[in-house]
Amino acid sequence: MSLGAESSLQSSSSSEDFAAFLDSELELASCDSSPNEGDVTNNEEIDPPQRSKRQKMEGFETSEDLETERLVKPIEEHIGTSTLGKNVICPPHPGFFKGLCIRCGQIEEDESGVAFGYIHKDLRLGNVEMARLRGADLKSLLHKKKLILILDLDHTLLNSTRLVDVISDEEYLLRQIDGMKDDPDRSLFRLDSMHMLTKLRPFVNNFLKEASSLFEMYIYTMAERSYAIEIAKLLDPGKVYFDSKVITQADCTQRHQKGLDVVLGAESLVVILDDTEVVWQRHKDNLIQMERYHFFASSCRQFGFNAKSLSELMKDERESDGALATVLKILKRTHQMFFDPALGSDVSTRDVRPLLKGIRREILQGCKIVFSRVFPSNSLAQDQPIWKMAEQLGATCCTEVDPSVTHVISTDTGTQKAHWATQNKKFLVNPHWIEASNFLWQRQKEENFSISNLPSHTTVDCTAKAQESVQ
Amino acid sequence: MFFHITLERNMQLHPRHFGPHLRDKLVAKLMKDVEGTCSGRHGFVVAITGVEDIGKGLIREGTGFVTFPVKYQAVVFRPFKGEILEAVVTMVNKMGFFAEAGPVQIFVSNHLIPDDMEFQSGDMPNYTTSDGSVKIQKDSEVRLKIIGTRVDATEIFCIGTIKDDFLGVINDPGVTA
Repeated sequence: MSLGAESSLQSSSSSEDFAAFLDSELELASCDSSPNEGDVTNNEEIDPPQRSKRQKMEGFETSEDLETERLVKPIEEHIGTSTLGKNVICPPHPGFFKGLCIRCGQIEEDESGVAFGYIHKDLRLGNVEMARLRGADLKSLLHKKKLILILDLDHTLLNSTRLVDVISDEEYLLRQIDGMKDDPDRSLFRLDSMHMLTKLRPFVNNFLKEASSLFEMYIYTMAERSYAIEIAKLLDPGKVYFDSKVITQADCTQRHQKGLDVVLGAESLVVILDDTEVVWQRHKDNLIQMERYHFFASSCRQFGFNAKSLSELMKDERESDGALATVLKILKRTHQMFFDPALGSDVSTRDVRPLLKGIRREILQGCKIVFSRVFPSNSLAQDQPIWKMAEQLGATCCTEVDPSVTHVISTDTGTQKAHWATQNKKFLVNPHWIEASNFLWQRQKEENFSISNLPSHTTVDCTAKAQESVQ
Repeated sequence: MFFHITLERNMQLHPRHFGPHLRDKLVAKLMKDVEGTCSGRHGFVVAITGVEDIGKGLIREGTGFVTFPVKYQAVVFRPFKGEILEAVVTMVNKMGFFAEAGPVQIFVSNHLIPDDMEFQSGDMPNYTTSDGSVKIQKDSEVRLKIIGTRVDATEIFCIGTIKDDFLGVINDPGVTA
């Protein structure tokens, strides 16, 4: 009605112009929150053709008429159409749920993007969407003062064996399980559906509880999904820690390689706990390598160790200073250093990777190391893994002895360099000293790693051995 | 939306079932085969309400199977684009939430959740408004609008939105007044 009244006022404008004006106003109203205040200065924001129309119209209409027109338009706009139709800019489709775009609902048989099968089996996300989600996650985690922790399962948090591989010396464990049914602290479980026996690493429950207050946790394992879900039920019966955050082998985008591309979190906040470095080629800087937990005999055999496993010796890592307890201290320290208020209030540019490097470098700081009969002399010394490990731990390595050398690493007391070390009262240790320092995050006492101590077969568990020697 | 429609199907029956209870066996087989399946045209067949007509059986050449054209009435469920549905939330994560309305699975991504609702992770992940008045978590009932559907042999998938007027949480589980 009011429109009709207005058109009579616009004597010099044809009905066509008015319709075009209405159209342009409708478009403007949807993309501009304050369409017109009757203010000429607003015109800078509008396209030239529309501006000219408005200026033409303003010549004939008073600001009152514009007001009433504006009242009519919003109602017209909202009936029948959703705000969706006006603001959606799809393609590019952000992601797909079973082929349907998650923003506009169109079916696109597009196999692009990364599959997130661990969240829902038919979900795929594009790169732009993942970047957006990672950014949002970064902000919310920094606000809550949390970092991200990715945990491996086998040999890191637990050790499993198939029931058929249980040897006679381990059968006492099967008998123990029946008595454990209601024990809240039990660490030995029988997974009948998978025909496996699982032993949780000591301290794991406390570890998870304490870590969850500082980190958002994910499970990332190379095992199958059915196994991973069963283990997640054991570690997290309340679905508090790992709900829809269990990533398995099927979710990896590259064969035999784990990647942070399927993790919806910023790389600069991620700390990874895993016993193998090989699978994390692209993200070595985020990795804290843990010592393998070999509880069952089958696990030792698998890795080629002939020593007796913890189950055969009826022993276990101590809770108070076992591998998980040590790593927890390091994690707490990293977290504290990251959120240190002394570094200023802007946390968004910080990165956890240089912090980890820094903490590692402190372990063997000040040590100057020479290797003797540890690797072949014709090989490139700097490429040797033990050289690299020592350098990562903050030591300086060199190939020749000189007065500033502090340690000689050798497997044999009879070498030239070994003699030089004893003559000059330098430390003479076997290579396990470096490995133990790496896993225990502390410079180990050189007396415990003398060359005569080097066992004929490699030790299986540095942590257990270190705990023994402390006793 | 639910519909009560008449459908037709050719049922094959093995000769061992021939006898006085032929019709009952045919109806039982029909129910077993059809209830719980989906088709793109009718949607999800929820239940068969009655058999209207069973035509004359035709013996197939070579095998002894007999084909009966069966006309039956069934309740079917088919979501349409633009339809408004009530659904129960089954999973909430940072990308959005999954809800179920009967046999239909609906995903509402956070693009289509109002901007003032933020994701809160924790032991009960949820989407909450800044003042905490509205909360979407597992087992909440929401009213949503379907913007896309896709049907395969056993399931129907939809994308939904709650960004429009009158959409969103209907009922909060465990709300403390």
